[in-house]
Amino acid sequence: MKTNFTLKQKNYGLVKPESIEQFSMRDILNRTFGLIGLIMLTTIISNPVFAQTKKVAESKSVTQEIIVKGVVSDEIEPLYLVNVVLEGTETGTSTNEKGEFTFPKPLKYGDVLVFSYLGYDTAKIKINENSTFIELMLTSGGIEVVGDLNIEKPYKSKRSN
Amino acid sequence: MTKIRYIVLFIVAFQSNAQISDFDYINFKKADSIALECKDEGLNNLPKLVYKLTSNLETDAERFRAIYKWVCTNIENDYALFLKNNKKRQKFQNDSLKLTNWNTHVKKKIFRTLLKDQKTICTGYAYLIKELSNLANLNCEIVHGYGRTSSTNVDKLNTPNHSWNAIELNGKWYLCDPTWASGIIDPETYVFKFNYNDGYFLTSPELFAINHFPEDNKWLLIDDVKLTFKTFLEAPIIYGKAYTNLIHHDTPKKLSNTLRRNEKITFKYQLVKPTPVNQIHLLVDNGFVDRKVQPNSVIIKDDMLTFEHQFNTTGFYDVHLLIGDDLISSYTFKVKR
Repeated sequence: MKTNFTLKQKNYGLVKPESIEQFSMRDILNRTFGLIGLIMLTTIISNPVFAQTKKVAESKSVTQEIIVKGVVSDEIEPLYLVNVVLEGTETGTSTNEKGEFTFPKPLKYGDVLVFSYLGYDTAKIKINENSTFIELMLTSGGIEVVGDLNIEKPYKSKRSN
Repeated sequence: MTKIRYIVLFIVAFQSNAQISDFDYINFKKADSIALECKDEGLNNLPKLVYKLTSNLETDAERFRAIYKWVCTNIENDYALFLKNNKKRQKFQNDSLKLTNWNTHVKKKIFRTLLKDQKTICTGYAYLIKELSNLANLNCEIVHGYGRTSSTNVDKLNTPNHSWNAIELNGKWYLCDPTWASGIIDPETYVFKFNYNDGYFLTSPELFAINHFPEDNKWLLIDDVKLTFKTFLEAPIIYGKAYTNLIHHDTPKKLSNTLRRNEKITFKYQLVKPTPVNQIHLLVDNGFVDRKVQPNSVIIKDDMLTFEHQFNTTGFYDVHLLIGDDLISSYTFKVKR
């Protein structure tokens, strides 16, 4: 009985280092996968950069043009008569009662549309391949309304006597 | 590297007297005439307005000038809205929720009125200058703060009551006040009259700080620890004409002064242009009668104006400086034995 017991103990003793070895194997596997993952991630991150520059280059050479449509609203409702203008030009349109617009002229990638509406912060959007339909929400900045006027009345001190 | 050093040196050298004289080499006539040509443009298409105002101008300073001049000569002061807004803000000053609600309400109303009637109060002016400038790719900010005039309740300024603008030109910031530049409210009829005052355009920060104190100190554009909200509240009253006649207001530093009988007090100013000595007067009001007097020993050397005054009888005096017919500034003097 005693020897059996010790044997068992020995067995346990043998099992232990084995399990440690197994874990370290897993660890190595994990690390390898981790490394592969990292390499994959880096390629994923770095690739689109190439893709983009390539596309820009393409669009420059082909000067691809798109029709841009969209809808403009604020936090609550569509905005009527928002000015939509190609930056640096007079070319533009304004939104209808539903906040919708269709830009009157085909646009190139890299063109900038300016959205302006009195009382709201101006927004600028750069045209790219995803710009065929623009959904835009304009916000009004934290404007605190104050105003003192200058009435040019000569100063008169309040006299106690 | 040396180039950068020279640029830095240039900026440092010119930092001290930030003002319109930095642009002496530019004639704003072209910008002004473009602003005049755009008189019939409305506010319903801001990008188009900016294009018309700025596309034919060469420098940022001129582009900003055209925008500023257009706003100052086309947008009216809305006195009724000003009164109503002031009353509500006073009423709700300790109730932030109600104040926020009022602000949201009045904001909508303000922009509707601005679009429809081209009328507004300071925030509308400052907002418009900022928006139009930003559309022209100029770096412009709204500055909120305290504006002090003869009719503000001088001792009770506890919430901001005014807004103006800061504009960055050639890497340096300048101040302007489109609201006060646009015109004045008639003291009797309270009707607004367009009367463009060029003195509020790229004003020297020292003069500006006498009746403009920003919520954020950095917009003083002066690094002077002696300049505090307290010194601002104690400063003399200056008028629109101070901006057309003065570059600096030096002394007296305070609105209310105490001195002894026959004690001399020195008045010192830097003028925009040399002025004949006989144009300088003090209007002295002892509470019963106004007396226009020629001060003693008036010296005008180059653009510096200095003179003295003394009171021969005790009493309490309101004293106003006049250059020609222009009302420049006001002080009070308590004269003791």
